[in-house]
Amino acid sequence: MSDPNTTTRLSLGDALRGLPLAAPDRDGWSTLAAQLTATPASRRPRRVWPLALAATILLAVFGTYKLRTPSVIVTHSVATVTPARASTPVNGEEHTHATTSTISDTTRLDALRTRSQSLERWLRQTAKSGSPLQGQDLAAATEIENLIGLVDVELSAATSAHASALWQRRVGLLEDLAVLRYSNYQLATGGKTVAANARID
Amino acid sequence: MSPSPFDLELPKTLLDRACAGDMAAFEQIYRRFERPVFSLAWRVLGNRESAQDVLHDAMLKVFQRIGQYRSDAPFWAWLRQIALNEALMRLRGSRHEWVDVDTHTLVDDTPEPSVRADAATLERALDRLPATTRSVLWLYHVEGYSHPEIAAAMGKTTSFSKSQLARGTARMRVLLDPATESVSCLIQTPQPG
Repeated sequence: MSDPNTTTRLSLGDALRGLPLAAPDRDGWSTLAAQLTATPASRRPRRVWPLALAATILLAVFGTYKLRTPSVIVTHSVATVTPARASTPVNGEEHTHATTSTISDTTRLDALRTRSQSLERWLRQTAKSGSPLQGQDLAAATEIENLIGLVDVELSAATSAHASALWQRRVGLLEDLAVLRYSNYQLATGGKTVAANARID
Repeated sequence: MSPSPFDLELPKTLLDRACAGDMAAFEQIYRRFERPVFSLAWRVLGNRESAQDVLHDAMLKVFQRIGQYRSDAPFWAWLRQIALNEALMRLRGSRHEWVDVDTHTLVDDTPEPSVRADAATLERALDRLPATTRSVLWLYHVEGYSHPEIAAAMGKTTSFSKSQLARGTARMRVLLDPATESVSCLIQTPQPG
């Protein structure tokens, strides 16, 4: 039987981990089940992608030179590897191609990581200087952050063969997020702010 | 360190059934993760009603997107990421709770205090922390997140995470032992006898 007066010293972490899990006050399964039955995943409307598409278009139209992350915006070309010299012997071509491919993969991965880090840095700076996102923009940003989180989970277990594709996806999502935030806070061409979900004609 | 409360193994057959849209499989998964999700949300938000909403929204997303789940990453980590993002989104929404300071100077490397506490005392102390500080403390100690992972989830810097942890630890020290404010905290934990 427990004696409440018997005590032991624990680290703060151990003490917190020793707390029991909290149970919700009501059973939410029936509500959730009803909602799941009413809106099967396959027919669920996708509300993020229109916003992400708008963000991508905004990036293409306005963003590239405005984002203050010069080192990250130009890294698409980094993956290009200098081709083998014309004087390379014919029987060395296969080896050269294999080496080039490996270098290309590594360089591409490095470039994607660098771009990812730079975008994240820019997003942090922007979050400090701008006002919080609201409404649809907040929901879209959260959705994109969710997807980034899921990519991170996959990256933690990815083989090197899949890493590049995942990093590419991560960078793409960060770009969407960057433009969403950027357009909300700082797209001030002519002094007017444009929301990311604004219609673009 | 003990594993995250989310670290629950699910049979592959159960996941396969869930991916195929089997409601009974959904319910089994819901029952298993209900408490970890609710607890995480409650620690982040400090409000049971909001935590209930997070549980609902996070689980809805999980089941609607379960087809996107790749089995090369643990399912629980995938689910936890969705739940955490959902909770943090709500925390950002309640602006007064979102501490936005980058207190580099508060980072310290002093060892975490040893404590003697009963659960109720510990709960009360946690309740009195700012939500962001409490979230960092919880994610670091209980969920086993690293500082870079916490920083990424919160959209902050690693220094921010470290400083919030130091701040939370110092505050807990005071809350658990206001008389001494010394390195150790004297609180009681019932021991199995």
